[in-house]
Amino acid sequence: MQVSSIELDSVSKRFGSVEVISELSLTIHSGEFIAFLGPSGCGKSTLLRMIAGLETVNAGEIRIGGERVDHLPPGARGVAMVFQHYALYPHMTVFDNLAFGLKNIGTSKDEIGRRIEEAARILEISHLLQRKPGQLSGGQRQRVAIGRALVKDPKAYLFDEPLSNLDAALRVRTRVELARLHQQVRATTIFVTHDQVEAMTLASRIVVMNARKVEQVGTPMDIYGRPATEFVARFVGSPAMNFLAAQIRDRGGLASAVLGDGSVIDTDVPVTALPAGGELRVGIRAEAIRARPDGALPGQVEVVERLGDRTHLHVRLMDGSTIVAEDKGASQVKPGDAIRLAVEGATAHLFDADGLAYHARQ
Amino acid sequence: MTDVTLSSGKATARPRRPSGASIGPRWTNALFVAPYLVFYLVLLVYPLFKGIWMSMLQSDMFDDTSKFSGLANYTRLFNDKVFIGTVWNTTLFVLMTVPVFVVIGLLLALALNRSDRTAATLRAIFFGTSVMSVTIVTIIWQMMYMPDNGAINGVMRFLGLQPIPFITSSSLALVAIAICTIWWIIGLPMMLFLAALQQIPGELYEAAALDNASRSRSFWSITLPSIKRTLLVVIIFEIVAQFQLFGQAWLLTRGGPNNASRPIVLFIYEQGFRAWNLGYAAAASEVLFVIMAIAALVQFFVSRKRVEG
Amino acid sequence: MAASEHIVGRGIGNKLILFTVVLVAVIWMLPIAWAVILSFKSNAELMISTGSAFHPPYTIKNYADIFQTSGVFRWLWNSTVVSVGVTAGILILSSLAGYGFARAEFKGRDVIFVLVLLGLAVPEQAVIIARHQMFSDLKMHNTYPAIILPGLSSAFGVFLMTQYFKAIPKDIDEAAMLDNASRFKIFWKVLLPLTIPAQATLGIFSFLGAWNDYLWPLISATKPEMFTITVGIASTQTNFAQSEGLGFLMAQAVFAGLPVFIVYLFFQKYIVRAVAGAAIS
Repeated sequence: MQVSSIELDSVSKRFGSVEVISELSLTIHSGEFIAFLGPSGCGKSTLLRMIAGLETVNAGEIRIGGERVDHLPPGARGVAMVFQHYALYPHMTVFDNLAFGLKNIGTSKDEIGRRIEEAARILEISHLLQRKPGQLSGGQRQRVAIGRALVKDPKAYLFDEPLSNLDAALRVRTRVELARLHQQVRATTIFVTHDQVEAMTLASRIVVMNARKVEQVGTPMDIYGRPATEFVARFVGSPAMNFLAAQIRDRGGLASAVLGDGSVIDTDVPVTALPAGGELRVGIRAEAIRARPDGALPGQVEVVERLGDRTHLHVRLMDGSTIVAEDKGASQVKPGDAIRLAVEGATAHLFDADGLAYHARQ
Repeated sequence: MTDVTLSSGKATARPRRPSGASIGPRWTNALFVAPYLVFYLVLLVYPLFKGIWMSMLQSDMFDDTSKFSGLANYTRLFNDKVFIGTVWNTTLFVLMTVPVFVVIGLLLALALNRSDRTAATLRAIFFGTSVMSVTIVTIIWQMMYMPDNGAINGVMRFLGLQPIPFITSSSLALVAIAICTIWWIIGLPMMLFLAALQQIPGELYEAAALDNASRSRSFWSITLPSIKRTLLVVIIFEIVAQFQLFGQAWLLTRGGPNNASRPIVLFIYEQGFRAWNLGYAAAASEVLFVIMAIAALVQFFVSRKRVEG
Repeated sequence: MAASEHIVGRGIGNKLILFTVVLVAVIWMLPIAWAVILSFKSNAELMISTGSAFHPPYTIKNYADIFQTSGVFRWLWNSTVVSVGVTAGILILSSLAGYGFARAEFKGRDVIFVLVLLGLAVPEQAVIIARHQMFSDLKMHNTYPAIILPGLSSAFGVFLMTQYFKAIPKDIDEAAMLDNASRFKIFWKVLLPLTIPAQATLGIFSFLGAWNDYLWPLISATKPEMFTITVGIASTQTNFAQSEGLGFLMAQAVFAGLPVFIVYLFFQKYIVRAVAGAAIS
């Protein structure tokens, strides 16, 4: 089957009297790997299930490959889904699990055998075909779930938090395998997750959602480097971005942030873009704050987190607020040390009271 | 690595139009429950209402007609000494048996709540009697109760004691039936209590042991409160079940002597299928239904209050 | 569970209690033992005194006579037909309805389900007279269908199967929908095989209930050749004070109880598990 694009056109969904999704429009290009990222309850799974046909659409249209599908049963839409808990048929062998969907549409036995053999080879589950799901490990079950999608050769693949049930090490390995698989198969893929690392590493575009609204759609580097809202800035990147209250001073057209203790951070954000008056906050990531003897920001180290390749320093500034700074892995800093921090203002963002972000000019 | 496409070699379109299920309400889904509903409506709902209707008819045996008589059957019932007697007997029977079921059932469950083979065998023995039919059980107990040749009285005579007139004495007949019934069905309450006991998390007892609780303290403060729900279920279930006493009374004592052990259902049976006073019997069955419902509801609300209070 | 035996209060776990219970169990089995012993004595000896059961001679003549004159075989056959019929009927109807109420959406489903549940509260006696009249009007008494059909209206099986279907995770249904399975195929091929434990429970309950049923077969099967085993054995107890033919009576009763005894021996673990399972829900 041809992989296809997916279009959501002013789609709305209600649960009872609560409007859960409101006039959402989105275009997913053919062959793209896109992630729906957000905390639980943000609506990302609901959106995915609406595309799959497992939830009704109250208003708007969903088109796959240009054809309208929102009135079609799930099986007729040409999509395949990998469920969070795999949803394998417990009483059938792996082979029968993979064959079930194909049998239902009357595929010939030879064709079924051929497809299963190929999918099993790609996913390295050929030796498991006669076992039942109960005899498989979590990772193996997940491959079977992916295999069930592969054999259908669908127009699009829908993944609903597929890595959440795996332990940490397996999760990382499987992530890489999924990336490889996408390069091989090049299918349109929607990947729902609450883990920003998964979204950043796998997707070519990310849809960040919060409380059933889309906060931003963009490439991983867009999301990371130019977050549209405070929510996106906090959600993506670890450790989370630092936020400090500041007064704005005009520095020849660019904004300088004056912190509570008087120290100044020179940003590259144009003053004209900012709203008049009101509280603003400056957002800086930890990697832009380094410990240097000539740094402008004095403070006292409270907690030191050593990660091996770098060290996170939790520092309390003179005005009482805390920020996280980054130091090299072999840092000698100890809790209780007095320290001076140098801030690279060029990468700083400004956020207004509504959480909207203002970025440095490009 | 070569580009993998599963569509390689397959130039044709999908073999067949997909026709899978969709979400959302469809009237065709109701076809799943339709077969059962037919039986339910025809053999349960309809007879229920027809029975109420029948209870308001009086049939004339001679010309085989029946005429509507409103509540006449009910008035007659409330003035019928035999019927009142059966209500009294049945209530007495329930009061005799249900507490015993609860206490002995719980004791057995407590004693046998262990995982060794002996306990398993014992549980099988006590539960085994309840899979027998009422007719076999009553034959066995007839052999126990017979005035001259019964096992119990044989032992009494052997010991030089007076024989006990179980089923020939109007004061003992109901007791005899009660003993037989308890022997028969004790397994069920025991099993229900066992299941409830096994649901109690072991940590509760461990915490109590650390708190130096005595065995009886543990029982009253941990065990009993944890099985409150099952206690209620067992009580209500047994009340409802024992109100429907029939087989044991019919086969052991025929309701005698002198109506001393005649329960309501036996009255219904005799009126309906021996004397063919169908309307009268139907009325009695409705009265039984109401009594059972009231008893169960009363017990339910009384326990609810005790749980909250 | 073994560890907590040493913990106070969980069960009254010391040896004395166990010994008492063993004693009680032995006494418990005495009535059955007595009936069995009686079945091995000749009628003549028993007529004189049942005390003769305590010493030989013992005989198997009573059992031999069963093959000659007793209706037990016919009755056992009737009970088998009826019980199998009821069990099969209940399993089929309850599985379909359980799936319908649990998974298949249609208008009014929840209301109808509550109405069906109300049926659990209706005792047999409230409907038995009307049922008898209905079958009389259709001249259907003394047939197998007449004995079997009323049992199929019980709401217990529907309740059990609905609860069981509801407990299966919904994503299996959804996977099957994406696999293009029709509603019926989802029921037949995907979900039904997952309900085998519930089917076993319900099957055992239904079979035993139908086998031991007394009141309805009593009033519907009035001809001796249509008696089920319960009605047949009851018909042999013509006079509770009589003592002739006692040995034969007991032999018949023991023989009649054998099938259930054997089933219980073999399936006891499953039956116990079934009751415990039903108790928890």
